[in-house]
Amino acid sequence: MAISTGSPIASRTRRPLTPDSIFRRVLVGLFVVLMVVFILGPLLWLGVRAFAGNWTYPNLLPDDWTLRWWQVVVNDGALGIAVQNSLFFAPLTVLVSAIICLPAAYAFARFDFPGRRFFLISLFATNAFPKMGLFVTLAALFYALNLMNTILGILVVHVLGTVVFMTWIPAAAFAAVPRNLEEAARDAGASKLRVFASVTLPMALPGIIVAAVMSFLASFDEAQGTYLVGAPAFMTMPTQMYSLVLNYPTQVAAVFSILLAIPSVALMLAAHKHILGGQLAEGFQIK
Amino acid sequence: MTTTLQKPAELQQTVPPAGATRPKRLGQRAVGFFMALPPILLIALFVGFPIVLAFGFSIGLTGGLNHTIATIGQNVHEADAWWGTLAAYQEMFTNKRFLGDLLVTVIVTLVSTATVIFLALGIGLYLKLKGGRMARLLSGLAIVPLFIPVVIASWAILTFYSGTGFLRSVFALFGLDFPVWAFTMVTVIIGSVWTSLPFAVLMVSSGLQSVPNAMIEAARDAGAGSLRTIVSVIVPMAAVPIIIATTFTAIGIVGSFTVPYFTGPNSPNMLGVDMSNYFSAFNQPQQSAVMAFTVFLIASGIAALYVWANFRSAKEQGKV
Repeated sequence: MAISTGSPIASRTRRPLTPDSIFRRVLVGLFVVLMVVFILGPLLWLGVRAFAGNWTYPNLLPDDWTLRWWQVVVNDGALGIAVQNSLFFAPLTVLVSAIICLPAAYAFARFDFPGRRFFLISLFATNAFPKMGLFVTLAALFYALNLMNTILGILVVHVLGTVVFMTWIPAAAFAAVPRNLEEAARDAGASKLRVFASVTLPMALPGIIVAAVMSFLASFDEAQGTYLVGAPAFMTMPTQMYSLVLNYPTQVAAVFSILLAIPSVALMLAAHKHILGGQLAEGFQIK
Repeated sequence: MTTTLQKPAELQQTVPPAGATRPKRLGQRAVGFFMALPPILLIALFVGFPIVLAFGFSIGLTGGLNHTIATIGQNVHEADAWWGTLAAYQEMFTNKRFLGDLLVTVIVTLVSTATVIFLALGIGLYLKLKGGRMARLLSGLAIVPLFIPVVIASWAILTFYSGTGFLRSVFALFGLDFPVWAFTMVTVIIGSVWTSLPFAVLMVSSGLQSVPNAMIEAARDAGAGSLRTIVSVIVPMAAVPIIIATTFTAIGIVGSFTVPYFTGPNSPNMLGVDMSNYFSAFNQPQQSAVMAFTVFLIASGIAALYVWANFRSAKEQGKV
């Protein structure tokens, strides 16, 4: 799952071991160990907690193991509703975002029109402005439009968080489709729509998939805006985490964390080739 | 600039850059314009317009659409001149709590961004210059946080560095006392670095990979050492992706909420957290708006750097 868009420059031959090279290897090894502890440590520490009974400090493992906390989560109605809400908003967000943004992505890649660059930069504005500040300003408008604590209001917040992904990444993907291929298909007598459906779209699909995955996760993980606009009428899984951490035993929050992480990990694993292959990085450069 | 460098020369000539060349008919330009319009309208309505509205509210213009929030909120300063009043700004910029938050926000953003870019550069350079299993393992590790929702990450990091956390447990087994980092700015910085690392690593590595190996070999042949090659050849050639990674990381951290909310102290904490406190818990939306515009100001300074870097890269490729 490493990033490999080019071959490293170092030659494959092994150099003889000198004190200097041993020292370097130890240094690199130490860095890797530190990174493993830094990145994976917190996740494992949390993961173990979901199956832990009693845990005496400072033991590194719990005293006994139990599945009790999973039952608590499954039997808790509020938590179930949060799962349902999350699974309702995320796909809807992706759909709405795709309808709004994908034609624009194609236009950015293929047409030159007045204001194109200005449009691209104003899209960036949603990302440049800190989310919490944005939601605080949005709240004033939502009060006036009666969108507070409504499904539409939450949907707006979620879609706003996906616009940059859904426009930029597919735009880069559409732009990367070679034009001579499209023209060749045209010359062979295919209609414009046919060319789009059987040449452009399939070639740009990895970028669109990455955008859809990122959007799904953005909606699935969105907490601050949903909390401000939707709580307590509509709780999703991440907003429920806020109250879980305060009101439930840590083990319950740990179980809930694992549940919340499953869709993210599954989707990311499914799309990781494209994400690491540069579709994401490519999308973030205005052209 | 990442892909164009990798494309063979003859392909590059036949593929015009995005949105350029070929004489366009007026109709096609109009179609492009209208296809691009929906997301722009959405953003104008739900980002641009509220920002203008909230700015008006922050300077005491409480009529019109601001009426509802001005009625609900407490401690609202109303305009005393036709253009408004700076009373809310005055109140906040003499407020010790706010000034403490501001300082903490700036420090956390600077330290975390510097750490993230340093790590991303280190991993990217190791991948580019050495390669091998170790390098792939490192970059793979750095991507892991992308898979984990921020809410969970923050909470996991909090428990890891807490009073009964892993580090303290390990040290306690050896009879040593490790400090409690939970609910201090140390965990906020650790959490910010943790969550920002994947994007920076992806961006920086993809930029570094696109530096042609021939250039590096040429520099070496000319007698440049490793450090010299990195500083004068590789990093300048990947400057644009590095700047983009830096700006996105800094903007993400300066406005972050979830990480400092979970892992940080009550006060002073980052502006994102206190902004929400002022809005919900204290019911002082105007003060909250003032904080939002302070963060906006910092972020737009950073954003200007991003736009400049992109224009520079476009100019280099002769697109402007």
